[in-house]
Amino acid sequence: MELNISIAPDILFYIRSFPVTNSLIWSLAISGFLIAITFVIRFSLKTVPGKLQNITEIIIEESFSFVRSVIGSEEKAKKVFPLFCTLFLFILTANVFTFIPGQAALSLRGGNGPLPVFRAAMADYGMVLVLTMISVLTVQIVAIAVHGPFGYLGKFFNFQSPLKFFLGLMDIVGELAKVLSLSFRLFGNIFAGEVLGMVMLFLIPFIVPLPFMFLGVLTAVVQAFVFATLTLVFITLASEIEEDELVEQASM
Amino acid sequence: MELIHAFGIDYKILIAQALNFAILFFVLYRFGYKPIFAFLEERRERIRSGVVMAEKAEAKLRAAQEEKNAIVIEAKKEASAIVANAYALAELGKEEKIKQAKEEIASIIAKEKEKILAEKEQMTKEIKADVADMIASALEKILGEKIDAEKDKAMIKEMMLRK
Repeated sequence: MELNISIAPDILFYIRSFPVTNSLIWSLAISGFLIAITFVIRFSLKTVPGKLQNITEIIIEESFSFVRSVIGSEEKAKKVFPLFCTLFLFILTANVFTFIPGQAALSLRGGNGPLPVFRAAMADYGMVLVLTMISVLTVQIVAIAVHGPFGYLGKFFNFQSPLKFFLGLMDIVGELAKVLSLSFRLFGNIFAGEVLGMVMLFLIPFIVPLPFMFLGVLTAVVQAFVFATLTLVFITLASEIEEDELVEQASM
Repeated sequence: MELIHAFGIDYKILIAQALNFAILFFVLYRFGYKPIFAFLEERRERIRSGVVMAEKAEAKLRAAQEEKNAIVIEAKKEASAIVANAYALAELGKEEKIKQAKEEIASIIAKEKEKILAEKEQMTKEIKADVADMIASALEKILGEKIDAEKDKAMIKEMMLRK
């Protein structure tokens, strides 16, 4: 047996010219699972809740009150909540599903040896990048909607003083850095967890990998929460109107 | 480019992933959060209205209780008034009856007295008549037999004595 570690997801097969990777299949499966659960809950809503409904209600209500406490207003929270919750649930499910036992054993025979059918969805940088782009683009859209297109651009290109101009350019760097920091934090954590688990299993298959798996579970939950919460915080910051801007608007 | 290739980033897969997430987002929003929030809100509303209704019912119950108490007190007052009235009436009737009875008795007594007096007079009259008759017949008898002076004297004497 040899270790098969690749940063890129493996392409299992092609549909015409479309490459189907193992993490793509995995993320589709997670989406399907979440959608199925959503439908089950949607069409079994009862006044006196069952177990599943109870858990869902607690998750939704608690996370909503969390979003409200961060963003500060009920109205804004209602708009942001779906994105926040979907990101959280998707990443959480993707991360937790990697702990289903036995999945790593499934493989397809490829040209260069066996290809694992399953791969942690968040250990695919493409997947994480898509989520990050969604998050960062939403932040930009919120900023434009709140400050107006000129206010938005004015934040980056400020000609009032050399210092402000420089700070504006730094803001551009900051926005770009958000993409990298958000995506690589999640990708790095999950990918490293996967690799670490694999290596440990490879070296000593019994008992020793267990603490690392517990750590992995912790990382799975924490990283999902961190990603969703950072998105929420960025949106909150973008949606806040600063005081001098308020004065400007009032004088217009 | 090398780095992008190393991470296995393919724009086709990126589009697929984005679409996948968009669908997931839409479904969760349309069939998850929206109906669940609506449902929770509806239940909260129902509980709130239930509590309000319960409060109302309690207030109503209290009002009814008070009303009932008031009615009972009123009824008791009325009843005692009626009883007192009845007593008064009964007292009045009793006195009247006694008075009536007394009057009746008095009138009866008066009548009886009159009767007795009348009878007494009648009897006295009759007795007197009888006595006169007897005297007359006795006189006739005596006179019819032998009338002598002695006898006469003796008879008169006797009669005088008898009287």
